[in-house]
Amino acid sequence: MTSGKKILAVTFWIVTLTLFAWTIWLLRDDITPVERTMGPIQKVFYFHLPVAINTFIAAMVVFIASIGYLWQRKMWWDDLASAAAKIAALYCSVVLLTGMIWGKEAWGQWWTWSPRLTFSLVLWLLYVVYLMIRPAIESPQRRALVSSVYGIAAFLDVPVVYLSVKLMPDIHPRSIELAPAMKVTLLWWFVSVSLLMWGLLITRYRINRRVRDLNYPVGDETRTESSGRVARAAGGAS
Amino acid sequence: MMPLYRQVILIVGKDVRIEARGRQTIGLVVVLGILIMVVLGMGLGAGKPISGFSATAILWVAYIFGGVLCFEKTMAVERHDDALAGLLVAPIDRGAIFIAKLITNLVLIAGLALVVTPVAILLFRFDISGHALGFSIIIALGMTGFAAVGTLFAAAVSSTRLQGGLLALLVFPLSLPIIIVSTQMMRSLFEGAGSMNVLGLGTLAAFDVIFLIMSWLVFELVLEP
Amino acid sequence: MTVCAVQPELQSEERIAEERTEGAASVDVVASRELGKEIDDRRILRDINIRIGSGDFTALLGANGAGKTTLLKIIATLIPASEGTIELFGTRLTRENGAVRSRIGLIGHGMMLYRDLGILDNLLFFGRLYGVRNPRQRAEVLLEQVGLHHRRFDAVGTLSRGMAQRASIARALMHDPELLLADEPFAGLDAPSAAMLEGVLQRLNESGKTIVLVNHNVGQSLELAGRAVVLRQGRVVIDAAAEELTTGEVLKEVGGS
Repeated sequence: MTSGKKILAVTFWIVTLTLFAWTIWLLRDDITPVERTMGPIQKVFYFHLPVAINTFIAAMVVFIASIGYLWQRKMWWDDLASAAAKIAALYCSVVLLTGMIWGKEAWGQWWTWSPRLTFSLVLWLLYVVYLMIRPAIESPQRRALVSSVYGIAAFLDVPVVYLSVKLMPDIHPRSIELAPAMKVTLLWWFVSVSLLMWGLLITRYRINRRVRDLNYPVGDETRTESSGRVARAAGGAS
Repeated sequence: MMPLYRQVILIVGKDVRIEARGRQTIGLVVVLGILIMVVLGMGLGAGKPISGFSATAILWVAYIFGGVLCFEKTMAVERHDDALAGLLVAPIDRGAIFIAKLITNLVLIAGLALVVTPVAILLFRFDISGHALGFSIIIALGMTGFAAVGTLFAAAVSSTRLQGGLLALLVFPLSLPIIIVSTQMMRSLFEGAGSMNVLGLGTLAAFDVIFLIMSWLVFELVLEP
Repeated sequence: MTVCAVQPELQSEERIAEERTEGAASVDVVASRELGKEIDDRRILRDINIRIGSGDFTALLGANGAGKTTLLKIIATLIPASEGTIELFGTRLTRENGAVRSRIGLIGHGMMLYRDLGILDNLLFFGRLYGVRNPRQRAEVLLEQVGLHHRRFDAVGTLSRGMAQRASIARALMHDPELLLADEPFAGLDAPSAAMLEGVLQRLNESGKTIVLVNHNVGQSLELAGRAVVLRQGRVVIDAAAEELTTGEVLKEVGGS
């Protein structure tokens, strides 16, 4: 990275992590009031909702990048898609865990087959599988191809999963009312969680590209796309 | 060039002839299905009768494991000796290959269902008499979407070496909505109001439409000569 | 110009009649202009300008990775080019090339046959796929030509490689293509089958078919073909009549890559 980019990256991370720490601090009872019906555990909600929205955004990035690869067949689309899938799986794990914590508090059990939890579980499975299939395919081109097709299918599946879980029995849906102070906290959480996601995504993307350049070095002559560094000038083999 | 339906008929005919010669796939898959019924039946059903809801879930396990094997086989036929190149270089629509493979797959899993379902009815004392039509519609809709997804991904992975678990891994999570909907619909059919849930039917239909279209559009892109 | 040593069994009756009325085609069979192919950020072919006329027998030579199989696949309409244009029989190749495919035959080192089906069944399938009239008759004739008629009901999987390749040739000729493309067809063949294949290619060429052969064996290629196109790292480095070249020269170009 050039030094300009380095400064930008460092600044970004300082801001993001500080913001994130601050939003955690915001959860103090004197700033964010405790919710009436549920008690202190309800504050898990401030994690849950922004992370859930960002999971969806990450899934959308996978979708778009997958289409991009199928259309242009350039490997950087695949780097982007797999980075986004990793973030989606990670974030979805948080959604699942916070959902389960919420459930334990609200209904006394770690797991119920309620629509929301089931939906989170299926989503989690969809993107974890994306990550699991990649090492099983040796050829980078095939891997990118299969991943892209799956990435598109997974995203198209999401609305259907949403509809399907509506048929599942819902146990005491609890709606909570948000006081104004809570809404403010929630907003800050959205900001910090989103920034975190984009930061992680771009970092992961850069790592993917770097790893690919090092593993599959191509000679200068045959290289058409420059990623900044060529590891060594080797003869290209088809 | 021949009209599309003629191309499809030719290719399906060829695949059926290959399958008829050995009857390997359908035999393997039916036996596997029965084994799954027996294993689950011994564990769950010996003694108490099983609800329509549970029986549907057990049947889906048999259908999806058997189905994945069928999908692998119909594409594997083209992988040997570069047979696929022979199809790709012929004056036919690439879409015809997709439709033909999909039809062959549907025929195979329908055959599987026709054998395994009566076995389930027998082993689990599963009484579908009042709702046979509803059951059939739900399963048929579910299988169509499942086959669309399976046909597409079988083509995508057919040239990779680690085939076995890979296709199952890809297809199962995508197909979960089908299983959720059909089991829930069966529950309401047998234990609840006794009528077909419209939202459920709509969801199954939506799944089918989305994945039939997606597979049709993308299939050509995954065929690498 | 087509030579009149016609082997009637290898040509269908329709084609013989056509050629008598039309005369030799003045349109190139294959014409490419600045053709290039890029696969996943790697440039496989660049700036390919070749013209193959009707009745030419062209050998495509080059080291592993030079791009010859890729070029053949582009001509066969199996994969699209990334840049430039290519025309077959005067028609630009685009995404949908259905019509022009009926004039191309392909032999590869895979047989492109279904090993679970009988040879005759295979030929009938491909014949019908290409819209051949009376495919059974045509199949029987071709099977006689390649010496497999007595095994026509045997599954392709039971054949030796040499026999399977002969069956594959019959498959490629079912629809009597004007252009025959062959990708390393001699790989793994025993001597008698190789000799047979050489004979088939020569007779086909003599009867007016255009042939493009990708081959490793330089000496063999220069003997069979009338013209040699040598690729190196995706570019054409030699494009000359076969008789003007020596094996040594070509090997020198092919060797270093």
